[in-house]
Amino acid sequence: MAHHKKNRNVGIIGIGQTKHSSHREDVNQPELIHEAVRLALQDANLTMKDIDCVVHGNMELFEMVHQPDLWHVLGTGAYGKDCIRITTGGTVGATLSCASDNLAASGMYDIVMAIGFEKLQEGHTTGGITNMADPLWFRKIQAGALTGSSAYDVEREFGLERANRASLTYRIIMDKHACLNPNAHRAFGLEFSQIDDLIRTSPKLVGELKLIEMCSQSDGACCVIFACEQKAKELAPTPVWIRDHITVHREETFNIFGYDRTVPVIKTHKFAAEQLFRRNGIKDPINYFDVFEMYDPATWWAIDWLRDFFALPGDEHLKLVENKEIMIGGRMPINPSGGVIGSNPIGATALIRVAEAALQVRGNAGPHQIPTPVRHALASGFGGTMWTVMTMLENELNW
Amino acid sequence: MAAEQLKGLEESYEVEGKMALPYTYFAGRVGSKFITTIRDQQKIMGVKCPACNTVYLPPRQVCDKDFTDIRDNWVELSNTGTVINFTVVRYDDRHLPRKAPFVLALIQLDGAGTPFMHIVEECKIADVKVGMKVEAVFAKETTNTILDIDHFKPEAEKISIHALNAARKQWIPVEEPVTNEKRRGGKPDMATPVIITAALTGAATMKNQNPSVPYTPEEFAEEAWKCWQAGAAMVHVHAREDGGMATHDHGRIKATHDAIKDKCPELIVNLSSAVGMGKTAEQRISQIVAIKPEMASLNTNTMNFGIVERRTGKIFIDYVFENTFTMLQDFGRAMEENGVKPEIECYDMGGLDNTLLIARQGIFSDPMNFNFVWGVAGGQAFRAESFIAMMNALPPRANFTTCGVGTDEFPCIMQSCLLGGHMRVGLEDNIRMPDGKLARGSYELVEVAVQVASALGRPVATATEARLIMGLKPR
Ligand SMILES: [Zn+2]
Repeated sequence: MAHHKKNRNVGIIGIGQTKHSSHREDVNQPELIHEAVRLALQDANLTMKDIDCVVHGNMELFEMVHQPDLWHVLGTGAYGKDCIRITTGGTVGATLSCASDNLAASGMYDIVMAIGFEKLQEGHTTGGITNMADPLWFRKIQAGALTGSSAYDVEREFGLERANRASLTYRIIMDKHACLNPNAHRAFGLEFSQIDDLIRTSPKLVGELKLIEMCSQSDGACCVIFACEQKAKELAPTPVWIRDHITVHREETFNIFGYDRTVPVIKTHKFAAEQLFRRNGIKDPINYFDVFEMYDPATWWAIDWLRDFFALPGDEHLKLVENKEIMIGGRMPINPSGGVIGSNPIGATALIRVAEAALQVRGNAGPHQIPTPVRHALASGFGGTMWTVMTMLENELNW
Repeated sequence: MAAEQLKGLEESYEVEGKMALPYTYFAGRVGSKFITTIRDQQKIMGVKCPACNTVYLPPRQVCDKDFTDIRDNWVELSNTGTVINFTVVRYDDRHLPRKAPFVLALIQLDGAGTPFMHIVEECKIADVKVGMKVEAVFAKETTNTILDIDHFKPEAEKISIHALNAARKQWIPVEEPVTNEKRRGGKPDMATPVIITAALTGAATMKNQNPSVPYTPEEFAEEAWKCWQAGAAMVHVHAREDGGMATHDHGRIKATHDAIKDKCPELIVNLSSAVGMGKTAEQRISQIVAIKPEMASLNTNTMNFGIVERRTGKIFIDYVFENTFTMLQDFGRAMEENGVKPEIECYDMGGLDNTLLIARQGIFSDPMNFNFVWGVAGGQAFRAESFIAMMNALPPRANFTTCGVGTDEFPCIMQSCLLGGHMRVGLEDNIRMPDGKLARGSYELVEVAVQVASALGRPVATATEARLIMGLKPR
């Protein structure tokens, strides 16, 4: 895969997010978006006048709004500006970031604002997703974004007991992180001593996938401001540089006829990571990156995907979890923010990964800032039709 | 499909599907207040952007032009507006609010800077036109949606007093001596236009009694503008602080005066020299000298000026309103010397006699302008024969207007208009319409005065005519 040669470098200079929660009766959609936009402008010390282009994204029709970018102008501030709408599924937020990077790198715009949002309480997400399948056979073959096949695979490879404990360990680590993040939606205060209880009591959704292991439906918005190198250096004390990003998808594999285990379909993460690291000359990603904000819709996917992203042999990925090396302060902190399991306003979720990774690089993430300096950060996005987006962030322009 | 088109496709079939798309709409605080205000108060509120002055309807949290946070900057809008554009819906569907055919129009309410969509009914579809005036009809049962305004209907034809005045000849003073005998002859001059004054606040009427009582200079200007539109040639003003207290602060009074003049330059502004309870003589007159309005009130006797429950006679506030001979003389002289025409307030015959006595010093320029005030607790109640007695005691060439507290307002202005005098109405004197409903503002009471004049066939004075009649300098 050819390396994108950038016309110019791009840095993140402003970040804003709302508190994510199960519902926000006090604001409508533009008003929710406005909260994040205002915070990002404040963070960047800019006004809307400084923004050249607005890139807007959510899961269209999850809130029953047609052409949301037009209606949301009241909150996005895009009145009279160039504005682009993006919808790529769960990866929307990550694609917003890629698009903004490309728009600024190309020279077309100097300052680009990406806005991801979702107000899932207003719509009917599972209804929307379920209706994607072929009506002639069966619609409900995939119950929304729920899938138990990863749980089955991990269980088959490592045994039910170890698989279950690894999954719950991951879950509790995410909860401990979420408890440190004031914006997180779900922060229960779970303890590792509750693992056995939770395995027994948490309702099963599909196969071994349990309610406690699944992400939430959240209302929330995230806004990130990107600037070309010159502007970023002028305007921001600590711009976070976008080194590279990659998008890989295999939509053709999304079908209802099941899959052949000898040709596994969910391998876009592995492929994307290999390509991205190879073209950037990174031989040992787990030692290179200081933090990883991973799009983790459920714990089973999360523990399995660690292996794909970092090309780990054998059971190294499970050991990372079991030894709590993925906790803040560990060898490879995963999702100091609490991750997608903590908060999932879908259209914003993948942009929050980039935003949180950037906050870690800047060193001012708040109570969930990891204690050691962050020079290299990784963020990922994932979407239902087998999309992967990965973004690499750096604190210095020295690669 | 026709039979021949289906040829060869007999073995294929279609699957009919249905998607359930339930959703919840969170209106947010701004949207919720908009709807609940329509529902509970039958009032349509917009928000105004202080940066670009755009008034948004429906209201929104942020100005989309300059991104200013405007969520708390509510303004009340009129129930009437103009059709900016419209379409005729000619098909039936479950999501539509009416059976086809019906009209959906973009309606811009008076005072709003943006149009919104609603139904226009109670007229033939063919009669709906761009530019037509419409008014809101509120729903009897709430749905907590924009349909709490049930629909808009064509506005009842309202002829603008300004259009009427523009279509007639301007009144010119007749050069013949006005004598007391002529007045006593019982044939008042109904050809002289009647001056309508709107007393916007007084010192005591508060927003909790009628929310249209203005406090801020902007609110005064807005109310004055509405009264001007309705036919008033003069406004009488007691300035207020933001919290509603009567004030003698020169800056605030000047700001209030100037805001009115900026908004309606034609209008005559008549400032109070009473200001409010407990003000010193110096506080009362210095502001008049400083601001030099075209007219100012001049009070004529020391009197009780209290609040007493009419039904029981129970005293709520007992207060003596001090207006000594010296004050009458000094205030009158200060006004005349500064080019401010006094409006001489008579609460009974004694006040009128006091004035005539002091007038012997030659303080007052001709014509003198009197106001007969009725119904103050401490002054006299309205009686038709007292009115005639006071009118007959006026010096030659003097003008008279009148005002009455509470329900005295309507009979006294009608008698004044009937006898060739002028009329003062407004929230200072009375907060209700003749049917007992709260007036939407002083302008609605001005509209009543206009009706009185038109019933008697008297033209309503333009500001120019009012200046001619009262002996003010032309603008
Ligand atoms: Zn504005």
